[in-house]
Amino acid sequence: MTKHYDILIIGAGSVGVPLAFYLASEKLRVAVLEKEASVGRGQNRAAIGGVRATHSDPAKIAICQESIHCLAAMQEEYGYDIHWKQGGYCYPAYRREEERTFKELLQIQTRYKLNISWLSADAIMRLIPGINPVGLLGGTFSPEDGSASPLLTSDAYFQLARKCGADFYFGEEVREMRIRGKQIEEVRTKGGIYSAGLVINCAGAHAAAIAKLSGQDFPVNPDSHEAGISEPVQALFDPMIVDMRPEKDSKNYYFYQNKEGQIVFCITPHPARNGFDCDNTSEFLPLVVRRMIGIYPRLRGLRIRRTWRGLYPMTPDAFPMIGYNREMENNFLAIGMCGQGFMLGPGLGRILSEIIANSSSAHRFILEQLSPYRSFDSREALQ
Amino acid sequence: MQYIKKHPVLDIPGKREVLFTCNGKSCSGHEGEPVSSALIANGIHTFSYHYRNHLSQGIFCANGQCSHCTVLINGIPLKSCITPLKAGMDVRTLEGLPELAESKRKPGKSRSLNDGCDVLVVGGGPSGMTAALELANAGFSVILADDKTRPGGKLLLQTHKFFGSTADCYAGTRGHRIAELLEEQLRVHAGIRILSDTLVAGIYKDRKAGLFIGNKNYALVDFKGLLISAGARERSLIFPGNQLPGVFGAGAFQTLVNRDGVRAAGKIFIVGSGNVGLIAAYHALQAGISVKGICDILPQPGGYKVHADKIRRMGVPLYLRHTVLSAGGNDKIERVTIAEVDEEGNPLLETAKTFDVDTLLIAVGLAPIDEFFEMAQEFGFPVLKAGDAEAIAEASSAMFGGRISGLKMAKLLGKDIKIDETYYEKARVLKSPPGKTYPRQQIELKENFQPIIHCLQEIPCNPCVSICPVNAIQLHPRLHNILDVPEYTGKCTGCMQCVAICPGLAITLARQLDGKRAELVLPYEFIPGFEPGATLPLTDIEGNYLEDGTVEQIRFHKKTRTTLLTMAVSLKNATEIAGIRVQAESETKASENTDLSYVPDNAYLCHCEMVTAGEIRKFIREHAVRDLNQLKVLRVGMGSCGGRNCALLLPKIFRDLGISPETLTPNRKRPLSVEIPMQALINEDTEKSREDL
Repeated sequence: MTKHYDILIIGAGSVGVPLAFYLASEKLRVAVLEKEASVGRGQNRAAIGGVRATHSDPAKIAICQESIHCLAAMQEEYGYDIHWKQGGYCYPAYRREEERTFKELLQIQTRYKLNISWLSADAIMRLIPGINPVGLLGGTFSPEDGSASPLLTSDAYFQLARKCGADFYFGEEVREMRIRGKQIEEVRTKGGIYSAGLVINCAGAHAAAIAKLSGQDFPVNPDSHEAGISEPVQALFDPMIVDMRPEKDSKNYYFYQNKEGQIVFCITPHPARNGFDCDNTSEFLPLVVRRMIGIYPRLRGLRIRRTWRGLYPMTPDAFPMIGYNREMENNFLAIGMCGQGFMLGPGLGRILSEIIANSSSAHRFILEQLSPYRSFDSREALQ
Repeated sequence: MQYIKKHPVLDIPGKREVLFTCNGKSCSGHEGEPVSSALIANGIHTFSYHYRNHLSQGIFCANGQCSHCTVLINGIPLKSCITPLKAGMDVRTLEGLPELAESKRKPGKSRSLNDGCDVLVVGGGPSGMTAALELANAGFSVILADDKTRPGGKLLLQTHKFFGSTADCYAGTRGHRIAELLEEQLRVHAGIRILSDTLVAGIYKDRKAGLFIGNKNYALVDFKGLLISAGARERSLIFPGNQLPGVFGAGAFQTLVNRDGVRAAGKIFIVGSGNVGLIAAYHALQAGISVKGICDILPQPGGYKVHADKIRRMGVPLYLRHTVLSAGGNDKIERVTIAEVDEEGNPLLETAKTFDVDTLLIAVGLAPIDEFFEMAQEFGFPVLKAGDAEAIAEASSAMFGGRISGLKMAKLLGKDIKIDETYYEKARVLKSPPGKTYPRQQIELKENFQPIIHCLQEIPCNPCVSICPVNAIQLHPRLHNILDVPEYTGKCTGCMQCVAICPGLAITLARQLDGKRAELVLPYEFIPGFEPGATLPLTDIEGNYLEDGTVEQIRFHKKTRTTLLTMAVSLKNATEIAGIRVQAESETKASENTDLSYVPDNAYLCHCEMVTAGEIRKFIREHAVRDLNQLKVLRVGMGSCGGRNCALLLPKIFRDLGISPETLTPNRKRPLSVEIPMQALINEDTEKSREDL
């Protein structure tokens, strides 16, 4: 028996789950197909939880500003404590190169009316007591950015979506699509056949494989980053600290203290590790720990609890791909989040639900800017 | 100071006393013993006040597997059960979340420590030690990583003489002595390096293991093969009050009492009548600790009958078909309440009995520590398990199984060796659970001594047969292996060696003196606080009082460290008498005030994050949970143990709710298996960090 829905979302992750909720709350009949056993078990579980609007392009800025609204209001509006913490993001500069880059970006960011400013070294030291002062030149700080628990956020959206009538099918890997003309007529899993007015690809790291089932190629290729978490300790500092200095084996790394008191951290390896492998390697901990003690020496006594590795579904220019599939009329793509699915997800869900349900939104411009058919010749500066 | 000064079996070696402080108060302990043992010896049972609900927490496993014993040591939160005590340590109770020490020091130079070997053996207990020896004999270089200060694992805690086979696994020798014998062999072997105080914290895809060494260093070790002999962790039990300090694992108790010589309790109760629970009762009595009773939900003792009988003879009641209802007390356990269960295992509250105790031992089984195995297999490394990590069994079986695993690993790595086919059969026998019980052999007393054997159940044990100089004790050939029950064949010389060596204290020698009187030789593993002429209460095989006997002679059998008492008894009871009661009935009376408060939902299931069984049941029902990862929303699985302990308790919760645990998606185990300070991960080189710990 074919199950028919208005909307069929493939992937119950950072993007798919909030989108399911916002679409279901527009009175659409929504189903979510997920190959894992519960929500957020793809890359959402690997996200460390940072949420910032301080990007360098209007589309991501708009989406993430919307995300911050959604997450900040979650407790009051819906009663779910998702450990939202508005601690801000701080990019300290220890070299002239970073100082220059940050100040250049600051001009763009202030043009988009983002709340971000340059702080002196002294001000950074007051903001983050204990930060290594040697060679500190200052840095940017954006107080409205913050963090939330990806686990609790996914669960909250999952509960909300269920309450609005969305159906979730777990352990249902999409294996086949039956195409007729420019329509996805059926989506088949091991256990079921589904059809929908609109099929939305939110398959994260596996988005390219899902698109391939209807015959299209989209350049979403994951690379992997490793992350870790410490034991909880008493509050040390509020902001997410992002160190952009490249080194031999790594590029930037970033860490913050979540509401539980745990330090959560992640590093970008250099060169990039392409592929789907998510097994832990021995290099990660010594590499990131040395750099973290370097910038915040007080962490030396902090005990690391666990590490994991997650995928960044990358696109050629490191911007997401959002929009209708030109070759399949009932197919929409919300793919290639480039490791920012968690911060983009809630805002994107809300915006897309307006676009899809009412086909009118002040945010329609993101479809042009993040079109899957763009030229891919620029590059994200703050990835 | 609550250290044991005199012990019937253990030597009390002179240990260096050092001063340290706990919450600013001066304390003294033994240098090198775990900080946790020193704290308990100083009467400190509360190690932390949990940051979620401020409840006090004490030690549970004393084995590095949970984190309940975390305290602040020189400003850093560390598991006190695997941190050796040093003079001048500043130990503090952890109240709420720890505060990271201020650190104005510049980052010091970091180093990477790298090492390599053919085979990394994870865990230096009975199976790891024998596996390492076999591998080294086969020409492989071995690193034996063990988390304690001395290798030996659980052997070091065993003061009893071992069951098993004399030829294959030192049966009849006391466990801690076997550890010494094996360690001597390891130390002289050029192919083996022992890394003590070392935890394997992670196995990585690039075929390296991360080793946390001495609380301050981290080394990456290359290996060709991996042998997991990390032993087992003790299962906990879900009942209200289970989080109270003073509720701990039977293994933890044995560690404190037998390895570290700490009188960790005054009055105990034990849940679980498997061999671990039974032996813990025996260890307690030897250390001068009274045992109020042992309960088990099973209708029969879970362990060997000889063990259970021995404990009953000593005066410890066994409450079978009973379960623990609750533990109560303010900052520490003060009482435990048990009740009979019905056919379905539900407690009958009207049968509740409360006992005043200061300690409750949980001995409800063990679970293999084998998470590295799965990971290594996924990565495609040559990997094998040995000992409890492979299958829960006696240490005797682990020693023999370790040898087989060592040989198998050698083969796996390309060595052309043949494994003796009989090894597998021997291993199977040593692992066997107790079998059938037979009636006792009828012996007619004579003028000369003859053995009366009160060992009636098939268990893998043969020291009495091996030791008899005239082969007068033989196994009755039914199964044709060492499971067979021993019997006397009629040539006794009266040498008493079988009485001294029997691990179950199940052999007496008896002879008829005249028409009314007889003489018995009985084993006694306590310090004889009496002289010849004293009378002692004597019991039958299962502990029923028969008569008082008079001590005629007290001998000490040096090799087995067992006292042999020659006693005058009545002829009519001579063949029935099997042992001496050491604990008076009045010691084991239930309290007059029965504690009937019983709210099962209040039992803590996750002790790392303090989540109750009630909260979990509610969440499972409301969220239709089928993936254990969903419970992370409640923080179950997010704590320092990484879900390793609660995972053992969750199946019961799901089963009770009508959900088959096999249908659930499990948590994925990831490194690290132990929390490691950041400075240790990079071996940060600073004067301070070298002296810190």
